[in-house]
Amino acid sequence: MAEQAVAAEKKKRSSDDYSYVGMVFHRLTRHKLAMAGAVMLILMMLFVFVGPLVWRADPNEQIPGLEGMFNPPSQAHPLGTDDYGRDVLARMFFGGRISLFIGFISAVSATLIGAFIGLLAGYYGGWADNLLMRFTDAMLSIPTFPLLIALASVMGKGMWQIIMVIVVFGWMSDARLVRGLALSLKEQEYVEAARAIGASANRIMWRHLFPNTLAVLIVSTTIGIGSSIIYEASISFLGFGIQAPLASWGNMLQNAQQFIWNAPRLIVYPGLAIFITVLGFNFFGDGLRDAIDPKLKL
Amino acid sequence: MRDYVIRRVLGMIPLILIVMIVAFAIFSLVPNPFAALIENPRIKKADIERLIKAWGFDLPWYLRFFKWFSGVIKGDWGPSLLYPGSSARDVIARALPVTIRVMGIEFLLSLLIALPIGIISAVKQYSVTDYVVTVFSFLGMSMPTFWFGLMMMMLFSVFLKRPSGAPLLPAGGIMTPGLEEAPFWTRFVDQLQYLVMPVLVLAFSSVGSWTRYMRSSMLEVVRQDYIRTARAKGVPERLVINKHALRNALIPIVTLVALSVPGIVGGASITEKIFNIPGMGSLIIAAETKSDYPTAMVGLMLTSVLVIVFNLIADIVYAWVDPRIKYS
Repeated sequence: MAEQAVAAEKKKRSSDDYSYVGMVFHRLTRHKLAMAGAVMLILMMLFVFVGPLVWRADPNEQIPGLEGMFNPPSQAHPLGTDDYGRDVLARMFFGGRISLFIGFISAVSATLIGAFIGLLAGYYGGWADNLLMRFTDAMLSIPTFPLLIALASVMGKGMWQIIMVIVVFGWMSDARLVRGLALSLKEQEYVEAARAIGASANRIMWRHLFPNTLAVLIVSTTIGIGSSIIYEASISFLGFGIQAPLASWGNMLQNAQQFIWNAPRLIVYPGLAIFITVLGFNFFGDGLRDAIDPKLKL
Repeated sequence: MRDYVIRRVLGMIPLILIVMIVAFAIFSLVPNPFAALIENPRIKKADIERLIKAWGFDLPWYLRFFKWFSGVIKGDWGPSLLYPGSSARDVIARALPVTIRVMGIEFLLSLLIALPIGIISAVKQYSVTDYVVTVFSFLGMSMPTFWFGLMMMMLFSVFLKRPSGAPLLPAGGIMTPGLEEAPFWTRFVDQLQYLVMPVLVLAFSSVGSWTRYMRSSMLEVVRQDYIRTARAKGVPERLVINKHALRNALIPIVTLVALSVPGIVGGASITEKIFNIPGMGSLIIAAETKSDYPTAMVGLMLTSVLVIVFNLIADIVYAWVDPRIKYS
């Protein structure tokens, strides 16, 4: 009886019943920290995307005069108001949308560019590999942050400019990763078979090699979103990012910094939001990596 | 080995050149600092033009690069535009010790804390200790330093007061003005108070990542067959961990340590800015956003060259501590 139950349980749990995606998903759901990360991220998404539907305040509406400034949390303003008498909760919603959007788009683009360069270098080898990897090495030797700020300070302060700046300094590790994978993948027989039936280099790279790097790239993108959000916030914090009146978590923090003595709580909210989001992406990304391949090093 | 080192050193030259050109190209986008002087009615137009010519701002950026580069080779790194009257080298020389002190203490402290914790966490994998350590490492790695810095400042400088009413820790700077001539111990205690917050803020995040590295390196080793052999033949567990496992687990860590040394010189821009520390990080940011490219370039070159050199050192150390690795 007991044995039967165990066998039934085993059958239910057996990895053979799952597809690759199903298997990864199964391992992921058993990873406590990954699940904690997923919960944090879902809550954050709900906060940012559903929040404004529930709390319909205009993030840019100002209450003129002294009585509007730095109001403590109240019924009218659940998180209080800032130095212009704007509703902080509403600014948190819209600032979060910008921060998440920048984080997501820049991490995905950086990964794709890195994958493109890595595939070219790994597949063609020879002088193309040498040239591309020397350039990648050089970019890796440059202290990223100072140059990121220099570029951000001249690029203009729009959202797309900031995304571009983050991408320019974010593709290198993916390029190295994909190059390494491509080097070993291209020696496999199915690639030789593809070449034998006359597939073009482009087709082999994108139809045969790229899909095999996808699992690893998804992990690196997940972790990359977290660091891109930090980059955006750092750029905005130094004053070269998203400009007021448009809100981002970074520029809310930069603004609040001046009022640390009169309204310290304004510092708490945006920073906490960044922290929880980045932590969520790191937890989830780490779990995802373990689920895909525990031996993987990223 | 000797041939390998020679080849690598030669390979560093184009790498450094590319780094210089990329950095210079990005700085060339920063607007000409002298163009803004036209607005000032007290400066003669001829003077402005003379300045622009002297600085090479009448040339396209790649020619200006050669002008700057030939100066660098001759040992003339150019004057600082941000601090008129000082050369870029002097400005850097003033910021360097400040940064090395903060970053050096932070670096040693975080290694001292993180390595033992990482080892314990790996040896007791899946225990409560391991989970707590893992969660805390992730907290540290995900913490935005600018926010953590401000929160610490709120705690130690706004909320916590001394009986005298002064803040518990100074909110920024590196020393109390007027104490320059004080006896050594007074100065020491004074400057130590200024170091506490920045070091704590920086260490919290680096302890997180060092712990993760140490833990995963250790885990990889304890799974191996020779560890099982050692246990099977009755070597005490302490010896298995401290001697057999740890020695091999430290090999990748030693390389990582070598690779992180250049960061001590580069400084931490955001933390330095928050705590008002006149170090390299904040200097480079200030220089590059105010078109002081001689200072910014010297600062950046210093860190990039160190990164490249320490990459080589890391590889050599790697072969030295691990006899299995041979470079041919």
